[in-house]
Amino acid sequence: MKFRKLMMALTATALILGMGSVQAADLRVGVEGAYPPFSWKESDGTLKGFDIEIAEAICAELKRKCVLIEQDWDGMIPALKARKFDTIIASMSITEERKKQVNFSDKYYNTPAKFVARKGAGLEISKKGLMGKRIGLQRGTTHQCFMEKMYPDAELVLYGTQDEVFQDLAIGRIDAQFSDSIAADDGFLKTDAGKDFEFTGADQHDEACHGPGAGMTVRKSDDELRMELNKALKAIRANGVYQKINAKYFEFDIFGG
Amino acid sequence: MDLIIEYQGQLLSGTWVTIKLALLSLVLAVLFGLLGAWAKLSKNILAQKIGAAYTAIVRGVPDLVLILLVFFGGQELANSIGTLTGLWDYAEISQFAAGVGTIGVVFGGYMTETFRGAILAIPKGQIEAGVACGMSRLVIFRRVIWPQMVVYALPGFSNNWLVQIKSTALVSVIGLQDVVYNGFVAGRSTRELFTFMFAVLMIYLVLTAISDVGLRWLDKKYSKGIVRSEDG
Repeated sequence: MKFRKLMMALTATALILGMGSVQAADLRVGVEGAYPPFSWKESDGTLKGFDIEIAEAICAELKRKCVLIEQDWDGMIPALKARKFDTIIASMSITEERKKQVNFSDKYYNTPAKFVARKGAGLEISKKGLMGKRIGLQRGTTHQCFMEKMYPDAELVLYGTQDEVFQDLAIGRIDAQFSDSIAADDGFLKTDAGKDFEFTGADQHDEACHGPGAGMTVRKSDDELRMELNKALKAIRANGVYQKINAKYFEFDIFGG
Repeated sequence: MDLIIEYQGQLLSGTWVTIKLALLSLVLAVLFGLLGAWAKLSKNILAQKIGAAYTAIVRGVPDLVLILLVFFGGQELANSIGTLTGLWDYAEISQFAAGVGTIGVVFGGYMTETFRGAILAIPKGQIEAGVACGMSRLVIFRRVIWPQMVVYALPGFSNNWLVQIKSTALVSVIGLQDVVYNGFVAGRSTRELFTFMFAVLMIYLVLTAISDVGLRWLDKKYSKGIVRSEDG
């Protein structure tokens, strides 16, 4: 009898502890779902992509359940600050500007930015060459900061999503576009719509604008989570999980130097 | 076309969200519209002022600004109240609730003006006659004002409703997965944005065409016994 009571008490305690930890363990992650190959949506509604798999790997490492919450890009930081989710894993670049509002983990990847223009357009990437040229890019990104700083004489055409930039480039409404090289390569150049286009000029980088790369975004008050994320990131870099995900999507190591 | 069929589940679930959102916010808009019209036509000065302020604000501010304010600002406000009172740590304001609330309240402002105009179009003598017969205010509303008000209000109401269905598209900015949001995400994921935008356009046309049939039926029902000048 005594044994049974003890077992029941133990089971009850385990249940209560278990329930408590399940509730506390959910990590709510803000993701975009409209930035292939980093994140996109399958026809059955499931989210796929590099960012999504990194998020899952981080959660697995933290032994917390991942709750992915889709959010439009423009509302990402307001939603994080309003505690709609705990972290953003959506290829958000670490910048000084954003650091005024939120905090970042260490970078989880860093890929160079590049211009894309029509093949044979002869666009020269210089202050003079870009003067008055219509350059399309996604607004509120590091690329906007870069263009405004380095090429103030170019005419910037701003879009809500990267896909709209590609659309307008394909129909000729802009002379060139400026974005992350991977997003441009996978999202445009390798597709049918992008077959007449190519990278123009060298890798573009400005430390102040582009910063160290893309990080996981957390609220300023959440330093504990930031350190946990860093630890988990180090762990998946060390145990090969990161490299496995990387190899699934890209031919080279996008972690960067 | 193959892509549309592949993503039809997404489009249909989005359409369903759009329909629910439109209908629920319509109910809210009619309620606020009736309340607003009552306040603006009331003899009570305070009610008049509140009614005037309500229509001035909601018709004067872009819907998009209000939606963002309610969803993000409202959430921060709810969080702060919870922290200050210690009652809750985080109380989620859902995207759906924020969408229904904002669109309902905004279109309540337009409905207020539509209903107010319709009530004013009823000859005053009829209401006075009701009073003279000893009818209560409720009976006057039910027997004299409502049946005629509906007839006068229907054209304006139909207009408001059609604009309102389309306004539900605004909620995609707060991440509510309506037909526009799902269409955009599918379009970007497959890099066939035009295909999906065209599908979304057709879905809206079907929705507004169905509403048109319903509104015509209402018009017929309530216009019984009324001779219209344009009909001769």
